[in-house]
Amino acid sequence: MTDVLHPRPSPIIAAMYTLRDLDVDVIVMHGPPGCGFTASRLLEEAGVTVVTTGMQENDLIFGAEQRLVEVLKKVDEEFSPKLVGVVGTCASMIIGENLDAAIKKAGIRSTVLPIDIHACAGPNTVGAIKVLEVAASKGIIPNEEFERQKEMLMRATALERERGMTSKPYLKPHRGATKLKVAKRIIEYLSQNKRIAVVLNAKKETAYRFADVMRAIEYARRRIGGYVVYVANTDPNIGLPRIRRYSMDILRDLREAGVTVDYLSGGLDEYPVAGERAAKYLEDKGIDLRVLCGLPHAIPDLRVEDILVTDQPRELRNFIDSGFTFAVGEISTHSMLMGARGIVNSELGDTIRELVDEVQT
Amino acid sequence: MKQIAIYGKGGIGKSTISANVAAALGERGLNTWYIGCDPKADGSMTLLGGRKIETFLERLRSSPGENRPAYVEGFNGVKCIETGGPIAGVGCAGRGIIVAVQELYKRYFADNIDVIIYDVPGDVVCGGFAAPLREKFANEVYIVTSGEYLSLYAANNIVRGLENLRVNLGGLICNSREIRNEERIVSEFARKIGSHMISFIPRDPIVRECENRGKTVIEGAPESSQASAYRRLADAILKNSDLRIPKPIDPEEIRALLRENE
Ligand code: SF4
Repeated sequence: MTDVLHPRPSPIIAAMYTLRDLDVDVIVMHGPPGCGFTASRLLEEAGVTVVTTGMQENDLIFGAEQRLVEVLKKVDEEFSPKLVGVVGTCASMIIGENLDAAIKKAGIRSTVLPIDIHACAGPNTVGAIKVLEVAASKGIIPNEEFERQKEMLMRATALERERGMTSKPYLKPHRGATKLKVAKRIIEYLSQNKRIAVVLNAKKETAYRFADVMRAIEYARRRIGGYVVYVANTDPNIGLPRIRRYSMDILRDLREAGVTVDYLSGGLDEYPVAGERAAKYLEDKGIDLRVLCGLPHAIPDLRVEDILVTDQPRELRNFIDSGFTFAVGEISTHSMLMGARGIVNSELGDTIRELVDEVQT
Repeated sequence: MKQIAIYGKGGIGKSTISANVAAALGERGLNTWYIGCDPKADGSMTLLGGRKIETFLERLRSSPGENRPAYVEGFNGVKCIETGGPIAGVGCAGRGIIVAVQELYKRYFADNIDVIIYDVPGDVVCGGFAAPLREKFANEVYIVTSGEYLSLYAANNIVRGLENLRVNLGGLICNSREIRNEERIVSEFARKIGSHMISFIPRDPIVRECENRGKTVIEGAPESSQASAYRRLADAILKNSDLRIPKPIDPEEIRALLRENE
């Protein structure tokens, strides 16, 4: 295994997001106040209440079970939640806090999911798997759903290792090609009446932004002409209820923008396999230009002429260094999507629209 | 499956008792595992002819994911594991125990095991040392003590841990230091904390002799009365159904008890 030097997301954060996907009402971080701070803020914007037990030095030495019991009781009083997640942190896990025992002692009415996890525990997906496992054991999700998602998450980890951000020891952030360069290329293909495929292969809520590229290209096609095939991993029948809602929102907005999705490649939590399905589907369609949005590296056999739209500056570095000169970034996508319930404009999309309007007037 | 943990003051003879009980259970044909949780990793030596084995954590570190059995088979088929841990003064031994116990439970312990014995170092000092007491791991605990104040004091502290963690105590094992009225003292103390003395193990030089030869008494002197004492303890543990969450007492009460029996 390569030693990866650039920062990676931690299992704790993945656990928090997965709890959000399960529609928990409250997340209790059992640790020092700063643990998971950035993620907590974002999640609060998405409607999840995040609280901390605020461990101090003395709690590290003497244990903080009582703190957790009290915080759980307070949470119960204050928010009357149905579903609560207690997430471990490095601090609590290293000293061996017993989340289960504290939850029992608190004896509150809501279902509480204890997530024994900390940042040393491996790739971020470990945190997500842990949450799903606990949720399945408490009957919140069916066991088959847990198995399916676990398989997806393990494939996602493998994908990162083979082709993604953990495939290189160090990746210096890169902002990617300019939106103008990429938008011009798309418009050029449309005006030459060539065949374009737009593939949305995104992860959960990031799809709200990447889907905008489809809307923009459809907007351009209607004015300039050309031929476009749309593939999206927004199957509304796959995944947790919250994730299905995302798919439904996106399909609704695409429909409104006049985009007909030609092929549903899978659910929003299936990007490691949906990418393969999308590539297969396009094989015999005589496509001249592929626009791959979200997690392009999950699509096999990328070609240097492909347009790759993604949000991670290190992912972009990886692409640019590998010769993909049309890799373009939708930076900080994630932070602008919290609480979104519809497609959000993208920079590439806006650039395409602007260029088309210029040509038309 | 019985999953037991042996606690007690440092130096009281936990490893000797654990290893001999394991050997006696192995002799009965039971699938028995001995898990030494001391970072020094020397508790299983008498089951292994005096040999020291590669520790579980060391293996995890040097060759993670490797698929050879985690244990070394010792006398009477007892499967021995030493969790290991950092050398003195480095890292966190408690964390080591947590990781090792979780990993063992997840990856190696199967349904066909009859008894797992955790030989835990000293007192329950932190979350790590308490790890074998967690739900799913050990479900009954035995405390080794003698009739001396300090070991009863330590036992009382362990009881405090058990009460706090809501774990069942199976009883006290008196490892005799040959002090006056020892059996009575330990029985009385056991009663006071809401438990019982499950066995009295006499002091016998044969134990050291066998240990010097790298053997348990069950192996080294199978006909001895000492070997019988260990066998009786093993039987008593197997049959024991008197499991209760104990209650600690005031150390002053221990002193009073000792004064009464001087
Ligand atoms: S201690 Fe662990 S959980 Fe807390 S902020 Fe640091 S990495 Fe995150």
